[in-house]
Amino acid sequence: MALIATLLALRKDARILKLPPYLSAICIIVGVAWLLVLPLDEYSRNTYVSENALLPGQVHTYFTGSEHNIFRAYRHEVAGLADRSVEERTQRLSDIFRSSNLKVATQRYSYQAAGRNISNQNVYAVLQGPRADATEAIVLIGAWTNMDGQINHSGVALVLTLARYFKRWSLWSKDVIFLVSGDSTSGPQAWVDAYHDSHNPDTIESLSIKSGALQGAVAVDYPAGPWGHRYDKLHIVYDGVNGQLPNLDLFNTAVNIANGQMGISCTLQRMWKHGDSYQERLQTMLRGMISQGLGHASGPHSSFMPYHVDAITLQTVGDGWHDEMGLGRTVESLFRSLNNLLEHLHQSFFFYLLLHSKRFVSIGTYLPSAMLIAANFSITAIALWVQSGRSTSPIPNPASTSPPSTKANEKPETTMTAVKTPDGSTTLIPTPLLSITERALFLPLSFILFTHFLGLLPLYIFNNTPEPYLRLSFETTLALTTALPLLIARALSLFHRPTHQETTLIQCFSLLLLGMFLAALATLNFSLSFLIGILTTPLSFVRASRNRLVALPALGVLLALNPVVVIRAATVYWGKDVVEILVQAAEGWHVWGLWTQVVVWLVWWPSWFAGAVVVGSGLFA
Amino acid sequence: MDRQKVLLFGAAAAVRLLLFTAFPSLPHLLAGRVEVSTPVTSFKRLQEGLFLYTHNVSPYDGGVYHQAPLLLPLFSLLPNPSYYPFATNVLFTVVDLLGAQALMQIADSGQSVKTRLFESSRKELRWSSLAMAAGFLFNPFTIATCIARSTSALTNLFILAAMAKASQGASITFVFAIAIASYLSMHPVLLFPPLLLLCYHVRASKSASAPSLLSFAIGHAGALASTCGGLLYVSALLTGSWEFMRATYGVRLLLPDLTPNVGLWWYFFTEMFDSFREFFLGVFWLHVASYMPGLTIRLRKQPLFVAVTLTGVFAVFTPYPSIADAALYLSLVPLFRHLFPLMRYTFLASATILYASFLGPAFYYLWIYAGSGNANFFYAITLVWSLGLSVIVGDSLYAALRDELDVERPELKGKEVKRI
Repeated sequence: MALIATLLALRKDARILKLPPYLSAICIIVGVAWLLVLPLDEYSRNTYVSENALLPGQVHTYFTGSEHNIFRAYRHEVAGLADRSVEERTQRLSDIFRSSNLKVATQRYSYQAAGRNISNQNVYAVLQGPRADATEAIVLIGAWTNMDGQINHSGVALVLTLARYFKRWSLWSKDVIFLVSGDSTSGPQAWVDAYHDSHNPDTIESLSIKSGALQGAVAVDYPAGPWGHRYDKLHIVYDGVNGQLPNLDLFNTAVNIANGQMGISCTLQRMWKHGDSYQERLQTMLRGMISQGLGHASGPHSSFMPYHVDAITLQTVGDGWHDEMGLGRTVESLFRSLNNLLEHLHQSFFFYLLLHSKRFVSIGTYLPSAMLIAANFSITAIALWVQSGRSTSPIPNPASTSPPSTKANEKPETTMTAVKTPDGSTTLIPTPLLSITERALFLPLSFILFTHFLGLLPLYIFNNTPEPYLRLSFETTLALTTALPLLIARALSLFHRPTHQETTLIQCFSLLLLGMFLAALATLNFSLSFLIGILTTPLSFVRASRNRLVALPALGVLLALNPVVVIRAATVYWGKDVVEILVQAAEGWHVWGLWTQVVVWLVWWPSWFAGAVVVGSGLFA
Repeated sequence: MDRQKVLLFGAAAAVRLLLFTAFPSLPHLLAGRVEVSTPVTSFKRLQEGLFLYTHNVSPYDGGVYHQAPLLLPLFSLLPNPSYYPFATNVLFTVVDLLGAQALMQIADSGQSVKTRLFESSRKELRWSSLAMAAGFLFNPFTIATCIARSTSALTNLFILAAMAKASQGASITFVFAIAIASYLSMHPVLLFPPLLLLCYHVRASKSASAPSLLSFAIGHAGALASTCGGLLYVSALLTGSWEFMRATYGVRLLLPDLTPNVGLWWYFFTEMFDSFREFFLGVFWLHVASYMPGLTIRLRKQPLFVAVTLTGVFAVFTPYPSIADAALYLSLVPLFRHLFPLMRYTFLASATILYASFLGPAFYYLWIYAGSGNANFFYAITLVWSLGLSVIVGDSLYAALRDELDVERPELKGKEVKRI
């Protein structure tokens, strides 16, 4: 009781309001430090396969010998199709599948994004498992072109060879689907959408033959030409759309088989050389986080993830001594493992950060860092709420030992209220301490609503502008978003608004919403939440200040952290063309169901805008 | 004043109709959300019942439809909502507007600050009835309920109408409204005693000689019983048997459908061994019902506050609550604007509710669609949601008691109270 009374008494203390900025800063520092210690041995774990039905690498693989000759023949077939029309290619690939005694079907699709027309055809064949009842299926994908636009000669040839080879085995207890998609992103998307009947039948053809529920998918990306190329490592790509990840067991099985059974070393996140040092682990993790945060499709496997189908892409990289048969045996062994599955992959982790092909951090360990960053905004919001309810007139401290400032000397005494105590004596208490300040909520609430609706405008524009106008609209947005907060602040100042309390409340609501969005987002896409959280941290510390020495640097920092400026800077840093990124984002919106731009324009941008207006209003007050 | 009201109602109707027409897939999407539509209020299930009804099959045969039988002839008058949704959309918009009208009548009656036996010392602290109506009409939860065309919108309308009529002392319409609300959703019958008391106070203060409370109560209870009986009898005539009782009130009482919702029952009863089921059903219902007598006796001087608090209790503790129940409670709480300075956790509670409203759909997505979470994720967030609502209920109760204390013992005003 005494403790609660003390705490309640503390609420009235002015000093308690000085605390939140430090608390916020501590949250941010701990959050970032948390992330930085993750690569250490003490905080990460070695990967392990938890689903014991998988039994990775326990079977002998027979994909050798004469299969090699068939593979080489198919590779020449594929090379011959390289400059043929889509129709001819589809026809020929169907014939090859059909000659292996498989059921074959094709699918046309076309998408419109950023004024571009993406249309192509998928070919797929279904191998009905001799021991299966058509309730479950696993998919082997060879996209016709890979993510870099190269023709996937050997990858497609390998799919064709494996289709012929798998057909001869009697041990399949799941159906196997072989898919040669028209490209690496929209093709698999059209196919998997149609497989689950969630496609638009006007532009995407429905599938004429289907099998059971998809249990897993593996894509092969091996763009070596008709004369082959010996590779050094397998690069395992695992990021899905919107930062969704496949079950860690699938990744582990692939690493286990490639590494342990075939002797092919594995790498991830474009870390071609990985010495397992702290720095390399951290770099891998950060690259993984950026890839996850952007939420873009990173390979043919990405489209499968939203349907809860675990999928990875095996990509060959470097110059070495491993040949196509090694890759074929890896895929064979991987499919034998998936074939063993008794139920959907569920044992292992769905949320993880990989540091190395054999080291990971699980969600319980890393989530607190993003949550701490999100909590910092909530703490500041609570502090601003309390502050907005405080009386603005100063309360003198009669017990203060420091001499009162000159300003206080000019003013006469603060008004005092006489209060009778129960024992009959009278005490004088400063009136501000007793009065309750009413909060004017209308302007702050409508301002916050307005900024969030304003974000819909750029969201719509960037998703629907044709490619030739994208650069113009981006530069216009860049200029407008930089100038708009100052213009709004100036316009508001003409009406002598917002008052000090209103700016405090605007900031309070904006940060409250930001903290809430980021906390919810952290559970869906940790990396995006963390990245936006880091980029918006200054919003916790800037205040509307009339002192130009304080306000101008704050404004400078905020203008530099304008989301549009950040996107611009990121494209310059990675040497990408901004139009290319925007076209991809528009494609993501229309084809893959990408949500990153919603988060950018409806969460990040409004909170930045509110913060910038608050700082700007201090300048004009 | 009147122009403002027209403007407000027009804007609210425009927002709803715009959402209906601009996003034609939105009603379908929202009607499928577990937070908005429960097995006993879902519009999709109503359509199923309607289909069976218009094909001369008992609507309760499929085991899908659990709503009141009299809704069927009403909705069968409208064109089929799958092809011509406009009439249904207008109906639900009008229901919301009528609810707002009733809310304005409650606010205008001033019963929240000054009753016959009690007058708050802070009674000048009030929001206008227009602001209250705006809070109801533009509450995102109310809009979501309206767009999802959940039939809890109708229940909310009749609860609000009953409160409005009780606070005006209009006995007949009050009994009629509460009878329909109880007929539709059963649990509103618990609002009868506090609202009866409210109606009695208003009538007593209007007439010179107060009628006897006992005869007043018996008369009204009799009227309620006969109205409800009449409604049930008409329902039985309509469906041809009394089978509907089992499918409607039986489902509400015995919880056979464990579809997740924002309440606390479904998870608990999923986990429970069958042998304990009856016992805990009894305990849970007893718990919900026990608030009514306790609050009505303790706060007999402020019966409107009791009724409002009970709607908050319903939003947390009934078997099939949805955000519609929370919307009703959160729109009624501002009637007690004068208690806000006494409440201690407003920011905490509202932040909790906001957090839960964002995290709830996220966790449901992780559980059902992404498959990377499980039922515990969603249940945890419904616990947080219920916590937020119950903090508001508890905190406002504290504030109401404190307000009474300030009137009874003015010398204690402004002092810290101690729990003993």
